[in-house]
Amino acid sequence: MRRIWAALAAAVLLAAAGCAGGADIEVTDAWGRPSPSAASNGALYMMIANNTDSVDHLVAVSSSACGVAELHESIMSDGVMSMSPVGSAGIEIPAGGEATLEVGGLHVMCIDKQADFIAGDTYEVTLEFDKAGSLTVDVEIREG
Amino acid sequence: MTESPFSEELAPSRSRPPWQYALVAVPLLVAGLVFWWGYNRAQPHQFSGAVIQGLTAAPDFSLSSDSGPVSLSDHRGKLVVLYFGYTFCPDVCPTTLQDVADAIEILDDDDAKDVQLIFVTVDPVRDTAERLGEYVRHFDESFLGVTGTEEEIGSVATLYGIYYRAGEGSEATGYLMEHTATLLVIDREGNLKEVIPFGVDSEGIAADFEYMLR
Repeated sequence: MRRIWAALAAAVLLAAAGCAGGADIEVTDAWGRPSPSAASNGALYMMIANNTDSVDHLVAVSSSACGVAELHESIMSDGVMSMSPVGSAGIEIPAGGEATLEVGGLHVMCIDKQADFIAGDTYEVTLEFDKAGSLTVDVEIREG
Repeated sequence: MTESPFSEELAPSRSRPPWQYALVAVPLLVAGLVFWWGYNRAQPHQFSGAVIQGLTAAPDFSLSSDSGPVSLSDHRGKLVVLYFGYTFCPDVCPTTLQDVADAIEILDDDDAKDVQLIFVTVDPVRDTAERLGEYVRHFDESFLGVTGTEEEIGSVATLYGIYYRAGEGSEATGYLMEHTATLLVIDREGNLKEVIPFGVDSEGIAADFEYMLR
């Protein structure tokens, strides 16, 4: 009997630890715009919240929907738009704060799209964080 | 604890029935709405972008689409919207094209028919006429995508004050273009009328189109 209680307690503890671990980094509103096959690339956007008290970095992204996925940033200056890969440190997610990947700013560049992006489709995207490790999220294809 | 001598006056009066407040509030609200409506009507149209004052004839050009040559002068009588971009661009270009497509949706059918978007590639090496056609029609069936030789594109861009150059990308992307990301609007008479910066929403774009089509 005592053994069963011990096993139950261990299970509850593990579950609690699991939940807390999962909530360290929260990704919401992950989406991408529909685009035809003539568009080789697509941008993916999302909100990433860091619920821990130490800074973390999004350092890499991968998805079977993309030949290669990279972290990029669009920068508008005097009406001229340029876009370039972010540095090797990745995208900073401040302690207790969030990073927003959005239109005209930071985004995941999905290079060599493996399918037409059609409204209503979802794709799994795996995010690699410096401290939190990897996290797989669903990205929804929708208009804005 | 001492009682305040003002407590009597500060206490809310309970003698007035609530409907009496409505006698004051409703006419005030109506007067406010009427004033707001009249004020808005009296205001000149507020453009979302920069208005080009005076008559600035938009220089003509001829480039190639997948349905044959396209000249600006073919579309005299319509509102022509010029955008310089490239299909490799995943973020700002599709966002802008979607905003224009949404703006056209907002317009009534007659106005919508009189708007012609022409997407000029700044990446003629990778953007063929076929690729451009498929790309722009994804956003709106009426959109035209045009390309030409590097020299032709260069001279059209110069005529319209569009800056572009191939910037560094990554191994996977190859070069990435830097380019002026504004919408140039040419009125029915062929004059360059407005420059709309990136980030104006479809409602703002539609309001400007509607005004310029009058």
